[in-house]
Amino acid sequence: MSHAMFSEQAAPTAQGLLAPPSAEPPTFPRVPVSGYSDCSQPFQLGERSFSRQYAHIYAVRLAGMRPGLERCARKQWGNDIALRKLSELQAGEKCCVVGTLFKAMQLQPSILQEISEEHNLVPQPPLPKYIQPSDELMLEDELQRIKLEGAIDVQKLVTGTIVAVYGSEQDDGRFLVEDHCFADLPPPLPWNGPSSDRFVLLASGLGLGSVSGEALLSTQLLVDVVTGQLGAEGEQSCAAHITRVILAGNLLSQNTQSRDTINKAKYLTKKTQAASVEAVKMLDEILLQLCTSVPVDVMPGEFDPTNYTLPQQPLHRCMLPLASTYTTLHLVTNPYQANLDGVRFLGTSGQNISDIFKYSSMDDYLEILEWTLRAGHISPTAPDTLGCYPFYKSDPFILTECPHVYFCGNAPHFQSKLLQGKEGQRVLLVTVPDFSATQTACLINLRDLTCQPITFSGFGADSEDRDIEVGH
Amino acid sequence: MEQPRRITDSFPRRLRRRGPGRPPGRLKDKKDKKDKKDKDQDKVQAKVRDCSCSPSQPSPDPALLEMLRRFDLSWEYGPCSGITRLQRWERAQELGLSPPGPIRDALLEHRDNP
Repeated sequence: MSHAMFSEQAAPTAQGLLAPPSAEPPTFPRVPVSGYSDCSQPFQLGERSFSRQYAHIYAVRLAGMRPGLERCARKQWGNDIALRKLSELQAGEKCCVVGTLFKAMQLQPSILQEISEEHNLVPQPPLPKYIQPSDELMLEDELQRIKLEGAIDVQKLVTGTIVAVYGSEQDDGRFLVEDHCFADLPPPLPWNGPSSDRFVLLASGLGLGSVSGEALLSTQLLVDVVTGQLGAEGEQSCAAHITRVILAGNLLSQNTQSRDTINKAKYLTKKTQAASVEAVKMLDEILLQLCTSVPVDVMPGEFDPTNYTLPQQPLHRCMLPLASTYTTLHLVTNPYQANLDGVRFLGTSGQNISDIFKYSSMDDYLEILEWTLRAGHISPTAPDTLGCYPFYKSDPFILTECPHVYFCGNAPHFQSKLLQGKEGQRVLLVTVPDFSATQTACLINLRDLTCQPITFSGFGADSEDRDIEVGH
Repeated sequence: MEQPRRITDSFPRRLRRRGPGRPPGRLKDKKDKKDKKDKDQDKVQAKVRDCSCSPSQPSPDPALLEMLRRFDLSWEYGPCSGITRLQRWERAQELGLSPPGPIRDALLEHRDNP
């Protein structure tokens, strides 16, 4: 069975560029869009009230995930195990408890420590990882908490995960864990994928507004490939199979976030503009070029002008006056969920994964991505270390259905993996790399859930070079 | 003609009738505060501007209050602070925790009184 890779289709067929232009320039109509539906309503906030505490979101998370975890526990350790609450524990009895994990970390930045005047401590500088061998895990349910020890990897797990542990309470009050399990992959969605090759381009971290303009050439090359203005007829016909472009966050660079103007006196900063203004204008022009040709979904990221807490709300239309006149521009939330041609996409701009990276011993973004899928929750560390809206009715980050493509943006490298679940789930995990650093985007073939990176590199101002790498 | 109004009229006058254990401003205690305000208004009619609170109602049945208080403090339905009792009841219903029906009827009956 041949699955036609983008580059294989492109290369040999048509005449190369070194041929006289044909009399009738061919036109390649783009594959029509069929079946798009946006499923990210749970991530859109209506009224926002910040007067609530975060206890509600934890309570709802536990109550919502408890039935699934009890089912998994029964499947793993037998139907007749005793499911107990922490208040019902008896010393020495083997039982199973479902609760929320809390990891007590010494190095975790704590606002209370910072403002504590007795210590006169300088606030801790940000570290890449906050884990230490002395970290401890506790299990909390609705009323009590207990320290965990035993067959559980303290370094790997993070606060906020819902877990079922099997073991017994010791005399000293700790719980000795013999085995533990997570919610595992959510139930599968039916597959309605397309029968012909359809591609979706995933890119993140365009990083506009940065000091160096090197990435701009690559960005322009990306736009030109997608709109079919680059390459010979072979490549152009392939580009016509790209049905959608998803930009997963960090469209603006971190440099636009400089806070100098806030600290300076007003009379010094009157004439200066925020760096993000220029960057947003550039973004508008780039999006305009893309939107004339292909539907684009724009997700906000960590450095983009929208709210900080998850779920981030879509960028406002008034910032993109040129591009928002086109209906092909969709400004969407982070995290984002949608049905494209019968394939369910779910992804974030990467803040959830990088937050887990900081507080866990897991180093590989793909491993963390897979772990969040198996734990049944997009972002367990919210609201502990990642800002989150105080939900009270339900936790929208709980995974109730298994997506077909699960991605995260702004990863250090491109990685992808096709995961097969026990109940017939097929998930393509993709870590989309940061474009401003790696000049790499991803192409996903919706027909057979394969993914390949596409790199744009330019050597200085004289020559333009482009090579498509086949990675798998 | 209205009397000349002062800036401080926008704050309801409260005499020293505040009890020692005045509970923190939780939604379920709004009713108690309203009762106190009514009594104060009777005493200081002339100077206090009309608040938007409703005129004094017959105080609800203490048994009903007791039932509501027990609903608030029962841990199965999650935390009770920061949301109204009705919101908490609906949330418990959606999570399948089967909260008692009479509570909801009582809450809907006194809709203006959380």
